[in-house]
Amino acid sequence: MPERRLVSGNYAAAYGALRANVKFIAAFPITPQTFIVEHISEFVNDGIMKAEFMRVESEHSAISATVSAEATGVRSFTATASQGLALMHEILAIPAPLRLPIVMPVVNRTVAAPIGIWAEYNDVMPQRDLGWMMMFVEDNQEVFDMIIQGYRIAEDKRVLLPFMPNLDAFILSHTYEPVEFADQDDIDDFLPEYKAEHAHLWPDDPMAIGVFSPPEYIQEYRYQTEQAMEASKKVIKEVNDEFAKEFGRDYHGLVEEFMTDDAEAIMITLGTVTSTARKVVMDMRKEGKKVGLVKLRFLRPFPKEELRKIAEKVDAIGVYDRSISYSAGGPAFVEVRNALYGMEKPVIGYLAGLGGRDVMYSDIKLMFEKTLEAAGKGKADKEVVWVGTRGVNP
Amino acid sequence: MSSTKITIHDLPKENLFTGGHTACPGCGAAILVRNAMKVFGKNTVIYTPANCLLVFGGTYPNISWKVPYHHVAFENTAVCSAGIKRALKASGKDDALVVGFAGDGGTADIGMQALSGAAERNEDILYIMYDNEAYMNTGIQRSGSTPYGAWTTTTPAGKVIKGKERFKKDVPQIMIAHNVPYVATASIAYPTDLLTKLEKAKNMKGFRYLQVYSTCPTGWRVPPEKTVEVAKKAVETGMWTLYEYENGKMTINVKPKLDENGNLAVPVRDYLKMQGRFRHMTDAQIETLQKWVNEKWKRDLALEKALQ
Amino acid sequence: MYEVRFHGRGGQGAVMAAQALADAAFIEGNYAVAFPFFGAERRGAPVLAFARVDKGKIYEKTQVYEPDYVVVLDDKLPLMVDVTKGLKDTGMAIINTSLKPEEVELGRAVKTATVDATGVALEVLGTPITNSAILGAFAKATGVVSIESIKKGIMDIFGARIGERLAEKNARAAEVAYERTSVGICKGTLIYPEEKKWLPTAQEFPTGGALGLEVKTDAGLIGLGSFVENKTGSWRTFMPVADNSKCVNCKLCWFYCPEGAIEMLMNLPESEIPAGTGTDPKGNPKGIKIDYDYCKGCGICANECPTKAITMER
Ligand SMILES: Cc1ncc(C[n+]2csc(CCOP(=O)(O)OP(=O)(O)O)c2C)c(N)n1
Ligand code: SF4
Repeated sequence: MPERRLVSGNYAAAYGALRANVKFIAAFPITPQTFIVEHISEFVNDGIMKAEFMRVESEHSAISATVSAEATGVRSFTATASQGLALMHEILAIPAPLRLPIVMPVVNRTVAAPIGIWAEYNDVMPQRDLGWMMMFVEDNQEVFDMIIQGYRIAEDKRVLLPFMPNLDAFILSHTYEPVEFADQDDIDDFLPEYKAEHAHLWPDDPMAIGVFSPPEYIQEYRYQTEQAMEASKKVIKEVNDEFAKEFGRDYHGLVEEFMTDDAEAIMITLGTVTSTARKVVMDMRKEGKKVGLVKLRFLRPFPKEELRKIAEKVDAIGVYDRSISYSAGGPAFVEVRNALYGMEKPVIGYLAGLGGRDVMYSDIKLMFEKTLEAAGKGKADKEVVWVGTRGVNP
Repeated sequence: MSSTKITIHDLPKENLFTGGHTACPGCGAAILVRNAMKVFGKNTVIYTPANCLLVFGGTYPNISWKVPYHHVAFENTAVCSAGIKRALKASGKDDALVVGFAGDGGTADIGMQALSGAAERNEDILYIMYDNEAYMNTGIQRSGSTPYGAWTTTTPAGKVIKGKERFKKDVPQIMIAHNVPYVATASIAYPTDLLTKLEKAKNMKGFRYLQVYSTCPTGWRVPPEKTVEVAKKAVETGMWTLYEYENGKMTINVKPKLDENGNLAVPVRDYLKMQGRFRHMTDAQIETLQKWVNEKWKRDLALEKALQ
Repeated sequence: MYEVRFHGRGGQGAVMAAQALADAAFIEGNYAVAFPFFGAERRGAPVLAFARVDKGKIYEKTQVYEPDYVVVLDDKLPLMVDVTKGLKDTGMAIINTSLKPEEVELGRAVKTATVDATGVALEVLGTPITNSAILGAFAKATGVVSIESIKKGIMDIFGARIGERLAEKNARAAEVAYERTSVGICKGTLIYPEEKKWLPTAQEFPTGGALGLEVKTDAGLIGLGSFVENKTGSWRTFMPVADNSKCVNCKLCWFYCPEGAIEMLMNLPESEIPAGTGTDPKGNPKGIKIDYDYCKGCGICANECPTKAITMER
């Protein structure tokens, strides 16, 4: 019988690593990820987690060790947030081209300056171009499930790329919610042991991994990595469907549509804002307003085809972002608009919740109303709208 | 620990680091690596950070190493090596030796944090710093391990400032301060001492640190045939002391010649004049360096006595 | 516009020569660029440098594929690489050699200028560094830049790097070489083996680039242990020669050789031991065998041999 407990997002992540039979962990604490490291320490010291655990001296070392352990051929795990992710940047570029299927949850927290500890995506967004699969979760159940699914997807021979589930600081990491943990046997059936074939560092079958390479070869690495990322789209859907069949929870793969049928205006959201937005949509529908919601689960691979298909149906699209690329708009907005190139539909970017400011029901409602207005007019008054900023009219 | 001496005559024929590598003619690091691999054997995994060895030991798709070989970045040799070792352990291959081969820049400078962390955790790896006393791969820039007075491209012999103004960082002592099982200094010019230390380090458990003086004829402005001669002179003048620290005890393995007053008998000038990198040094600078060497020698002796 | 490709070895100053030529052309009112082949070659390995000169701004930021001139700093380089590759039919090769142009062998019969730049350098500079002398030959043979400008270019570029006094000597070397340059047509008799390189398509490329041990391909070995394909013996200028009768089997040269190019006779099968080889007190055959495929000629073996059984020869 699956076990149900009230746990934090951090616990769900740590327990996910345990249940995924991770063999190697290297990690360094940072608010609000710290509890992940602490929980793993408890699991290991209590003997319920049989894994090598390196309590390293920095995030740079955490990801370095994790990359090398994965290259050695074992299922490896780390976790971080904010400054820690920024410190890892150099090494985050390593696992994708080397095709190392690491899973690393990131608890999204603002990156200084100014120093703060609350939710913002300016830690993860600068890492978009490094070849990690990146997805955003909505609740703690999804945290746990996506660690398990993450390894399944990442280790698939068609993919072999690192996987990064993102969870909002405090809103998930420190929030207790009921989570169902499937039986270990069922998880083991779903996620068999990792068998390193393409890359391992074994003296009885030696390999070179990460060799200094001239230009004659690097472009082929890049193309191969891109092909793997594209291939992951299909694998993500397959794994999603198999998981849904096995465990009864369907996350709909790359994007989830919520009440988009006959919608005139939709919002595309990332992370926990999605959850509140569901409520807003339900309420607005009751008022007869034709709004719908798209949960952008995966930012990498980017679900371009799916978004275009959805956009066909609607008259205006709003995109929510929890970080800004200065002078360009929020990263999700920029990417969605790029994906919808040529469709001639108003696309509006909404910025809210930066630095961890709470994104309130009324903020989200305002986003829907403005998008609906654009749908009516066939055009947007403003491309990028700041919501909830003192002195700035949305 | 056994103190069986390993000599050149004990080495096997097969090279696990093959010819065809692209080190400069006369490269000391190449001498070290090739022979160290003979000591280590096939059950070894190698990590190299960014440095000359990374490039000359393998440029895709051709590689000199015949054992598993890995690179991630410049500053993480100790932690990547430890990651490999822990992962091998997790997969039941704990008998394999993991060696991190880094330069002095990758060790004394940018790699110091990861090195210190791994040493403090007593990770079960062998860390070897080949000390060529500058960043050679990027074209001869100063490192913390560059000696006083030396010319490098970032410590040029200028009109006002001539060469490096600071003394060589004492990394082996930093490592001893970490209370690890084994720390040793060695030199390519003392084969028996070097091979014995490599063998000993290979067979120990826990964190082992070896710093091997490795002449860089290109960066030091030394004719390539003098690689070994210069390395010998370093020991004779006291510029480089060969010692080992094992489970709390320190032993100086090769004592330089002393005069009747117990001072170093061979002046550093004899060492300096063999190398273009010191050519610009003034008498005052040489005197400053000589004083430093004298004091360093006395300190090494005192340490040996204290750590018995 | 004219384009120049310099062939040298790491450490011979091909890049500085390209820069000094560009500087000379610039002094004459041209637009000029000089750039290296961005490689990671160490001292001794073959390297390339390039220069482009035109009246107006040069927009090309690509490497040079069809040079008007090739300049060869080392007379052994044509044996390893086809220096005439891509050279325009109207072009010219400028080569450091003591031979006359008609005696020079290249891959194609092309207009060729020769000068004994090594001899000039030894005479004027006291060291065999030929990157300045060869520029004198370039000026004389091509006429596209004056020797005065070349000397100024050397003063600018070399001066900044090695000081005015040494730069002056180098300018003098260029001047001497200018006078000793002769032009003719070389022999196109050298045949180069077809260059084989493993260039997998993106689809064939190994996952994550990981390579195993001594992987066989049509272009030879790749992967771990495959650097043996790279015959570094071609880097050599001096060559160690062993007198095995003097060898005492101390194995020092065997240990010290950075390339592992020395093998002890005692490690070889009997069939490979030359007749008349002496034995040491233990009854082992005395002596070494040098693998000239890999020996870079560093000279450590000769320097360290306690019985002086090894000598370095040109
Ligand atoms: C983070 C980072 N900074 C800088 C570099 C550039 N870099 C590569 S090798 C090197 C110097 C290596 O010096 P050392 O460790 O002494 O080894 P050597 O080249 O002398 O053998 C530098 C600065 C890099 N690769 N990574
Ligand atoms: S620069 Fe120095 S250390 Fe580097 S390959 Fe050349 S001789 Fe060896």
